[in-house]
Amino acid sequence: MKLSDIDVAVIGSGPAGMAASIRAKEEGAEHVLILERQEQLGGLLHQCVHNGFGLFYFEQDLTGPEYGHRFAEKVKDLGIQVLLETMVTQISPDRQITAVNNHEGVLRLKPKSIVLAMGCRERSRGQLNVPGTRPAGIFTAGTAQRFVNVEGWIPGRKVVILGSGDIGMIMARRLTLEGVEVKAVVEILPYIGGLTRNEVQCLHDFHIPLLLEHTVTEIHGQQRLEAVTIARVNKDKKPVNGTERMIECDTLLLSVGLIPENELSRMAGVALDPLTGGPVVDQWRETNVSGIFAGGNVVHVHDLVDEVSWEAEIAGASAARFAKKEETEKEKKMLKPGRNIRYVVPQSISAQHDVTLYARVKDMEENVTLKVGDIFSKSLRVVKPGEMLKIDLSPSQLQQLKDDPVELSIEGSKRR
Amino acid sequence: MAQMETEVLIIGGGVLGAAVARELSRYKGDVLLVEKEADFGWGSTKTNMCIVCQGGDTLEFRPEYHRSKLVWDSIPLMEPLCQELDVPFKKVGELALIRNNEELSKFQKLKSRAEKLGLTGHQFIDQDSLRQMEPNITREAIGALHDPHIAIVDPVRLTIGLIENASQNGVKVMTETEILRISREANQFEVETNRGPVKCRFIVNAAGTSVDKIARLVNSDDFVLYPIRGYVGILDKNLGGLIKHEIHMRPDAPGQMNILTPSVHGNLFFGTTMQPALRGDCSVTGRIAEIGLQNVRKIFPDLSEKDIIHSFAGFLMFRNWEVGWHECVVQASQKVPRFISICIGYPGVSAAPAAAREVTELLRREGLRLETNERFIPIRKAPPVFNELPEEQQKKLIAKDSRYGHVVCRCETVSEGEIVEAIRHGATTLDGIKFRTRAGMGRCQGGFCTPRVVKILARELGLSEEKITKKGRESRLLLYKSKDLLEAQL
Amino acid sequence: MVEEKIVCIGCPLGCRTTLRIDHHGDVVKITGYKCKEGRQYVLEEYRNPVRILTATIRTEKSRRPLLPVRTNRPILKSRLKEATLILVRLKAKPPVKVGQVILPNLLKSGVDVIATDDLFE
Repeated sequence: MKLSDIDVAVIGSGPAGMAASIRAKEEGAEHVLILERQEQLGGLLHQCVHNGFGLFYFEQDLTGPEYGHRFAEKVKDLGIQVLLETMVTQISPDRQITAVNNHEGVLRLKPKSIVLAMGCRERSRGQLNVPGTRPAGIFTAGTAQRFVNVEGWIPGRKVVILGSGDIGMIMARRLTLEGVEVKAVVEILPYIGGLTRNEVQCLHDFHIPLLLEHTVTEIHGQQRLEAVTIARVNKDKKPVNGTERMIECDTLLLSVGLIPENELSRMAGVALDPLTGGPVVDQWRETNVSGIFAGGNVVHVHDLVDEVSWEAEIAGASAARFAKKEETEKEKKMLKPGRNIRYVVPQSISAQHDVTLYARVKDMEENVTLKVGDIFSKSLRVVKPGEMLKIDLSPSQLQQLKDDPVELSIEGSKRR
Repeated sequence: MAQMETEVLIIGGGVLGAAVARELSRYKGDVLLVEKEADFGWGSTKTNMCIVCQGGDTLEFRPEYHRSKLVWDSIPLMEPLCQELDVPFKKVGELALIRNNEELSKFQKLKSRAEKLGLTGHQFIDQDSLRQMEPNITREAIGALHDPHIAIVDPVRLTIGLIENASQNGVKVMTETEILRISREANQFEVETNRGPVKCRFIVNAAGTSVDKIARLVNSDDFVLYPIRGYVGILDKNLGGLIKHEIHMRPDAPGQMNILTPSVHGNLFFGTTMQPALRGDCSVTGRIAEIGLQNVRKIFPDLSEKDIIHSFAGFLMFRNWEVGWHECVVQASQKVPRFISICIGYPGVSAAPAAAREVTELLRREGLRLETNERFIPIRKAPPVFNELPEEQQKKLIAKDSRYGHVVCRCETVSEGEIVEAIRHGATTLDGIKFRTRAGMGRCQGGFCTPRVVKILARELGLSEEKITKKGRESRLLLYKSKDLLEAQL
Repeated sequence: MVEEKIVCIGCPLGCRTTLRIDHHGDVVKITGYKCKEGRQYVLEEYRNPVRILTATIRTEKSRRPLLPVRTNRPILKSRLKEATLILVRLKAKPPVKVGQVILPNLLKSGVDVIATDDLFE
């Protein structure tokens, strides 16, 4: 097993890692290596048994495993080297990777370039600080999904779900189809955190109550969860006295946010953007550390897996070009989030090339105008934090930019 | 259930019970330790702030108090003990922050009192030096009193180290064993447990928050204890390097201690708010969490709610709460022969080594014959912690057992080999694995590793995964097998 | 006259539409939509609400306890529960390849249940 002369090392083999590695190979990188900590390629795709994947990338409505399968086959066909059950424990700023597995032991690799594709993790109860006891029966939605869809275990029969992110809604449906009573999905905001499609096909279809502007204020039960107290919240998201009521349940699922997983990025000295939780990248998806690129949920949390793969492809292509020591044009115009924009990726662009900008808003608004400096303006019927914005810009537009940094903003009329 | 017989029965497997067990294992004779929970140190021990007073904190205590004496006597014992047991011990030093002249004069008084006792090494640090030593703490501090002796430990690891060394040297231990009744016979006790009867001659009651309850079983509760609840928060490891010393700020309101400290594992811990509460009610209310964060921000202003990865409440048993700094319980019963009760409250961990010796002496006075065990082995080797080993040793470990190369907990880099080893050493629950290996203690709080740890537990214990519990008893994690609920609907 | 509420999923706006249906079951009026695609979707959704069913089935003789499956085309929303109970009885045996038909002609609908992942021993 040759582990020297690696052109591109990709960390993670989910929809980002696989796409990046394939694109790197297609861009001419000879030796591409994927380091994956699980027993198979695909990352979290295997536990996402629901459909909605590939609607844009493949123009088909696929399930997670099917989407992953397409990429995994290509990885095999292209002869991309894969190390499974291998955990990367360190990356140094000079691109040395330390990894551990049970056949090679401790590995030291020095690839010419690295693509970070570690994805994200879920926010936990500990971070949420929900008051109450510490019984068994509280899981993040993703962990429950793994148990239900892969390991073959149902955590409980009476479930409350905190948070209306996509994974929470998906699990509401999944559990219902497994015979579980999902008593409520509780959401602190006045609108759902995920896609409308999921509200309809996961909650409405199964008559699962959606309690907007509510939150869980207390957890009850010593050994196993017995009930939760929920309450309505005011516009400052604080519980309103007198609106509390108890819901009997044996399981609480938390779907309260995803955080890009950047422990390794930090070790490598990669600068992170506090607004995204992921690396600051230019439009080639290169980080501030030369030769280290990033794509997918590790950069910012996406809504659609298709976008994850597309973004990772940019990182893979750039990594391959870097390994070949090709010159890349390095003009950097900084972008900055303006009114009602939480973040924009990439954080810097050049005016010489086509670029796609990704952004999320902070608050829901209707009948607004999305603006990029004074070169782009688009009316939108509605903008929501749970639905990412995509803006394609061409060099002819970009060359008219006068400002630096360039501001992305939402000019609104009605606030919902 | 077989009839068990022993000479000394220790009730409680927290740091004190474990310390007594280890101390008694230096001598010949049968000792049995029983613990109510599924693993050791799950009462007050595990919610400890991990700080070991090495003299400095005794500035606050009245030297005439029994507890202060125990802490004092423990000072030369703790570090060698941790070395013998192969558990972490790190001298970080303490900075007691001074915000105004009133605090300065108070500390001056305490310092001179300490020096009279022979405690040296304390120094006043001025504002500039403080800035250099701790650039990230509040600008409000005009200086600090530096105590170089304060150290940090991992109380649960220490407890497990004590238990394992005691077991090595002949002490028998049982978990998930609860005391139901104690009756006094002529020269012995007949103790009824949920796992069968135990006959013993001596009892050491080290039952933490149940110490008075156990004492009542023999009508020997000649002390009253008050449960005081404290709140502890754990901060992300990314902040780990930002604070180097244990930092202490005098409480603004009574009962609001304010401590921020590094832990031996690289996190930061903060502790705050002590208030009387219903025993056993370890719930954390929103208000307490809010106050906790407010308080620790007085020390470290840049902290945000997002930095907290976990928080919990724990109990300390205090005697004579109204008096202020109070006494502890280390006494032979006035009414019942051969019955010793021990409960120290704060700081139980720091006082444990000397307290164990004192209990041994009390037992001797009650008639226990102490004959030195020549085969006593003081050294206990801890199971390997993979991510702390140098690379060469990591490679050797994997070559010996490839499971050490399979990393299961990615946040804390814990391997399957370590998890299997912890199970071999007695862990049977998810929390047991967590406290022994740290799997599940990282920033994702078990989100990734839980399904894998459950699988390993089931495999090693020969149980179906649905039998695996979070913390013993009825805390099962997975209530149904896939399709079982649907089949019931067919 | 009956009213039915349907949320359009055509775009992120998620218009909440209301359909008025007469006693013949015909849609006489739709309100709340903002575009003609939305109107079309909502009408179709009322007349023929279909869904793709995704689920898992048990396995035998495999280290993997479950195999994820799906219907290869949508089935009537009203039959999802019934379909789920049929799937409970199924057991997949390796080897299985992605796309392989596990159960043809589910509920005589002409729709097959296919595997969405490989299954090995």
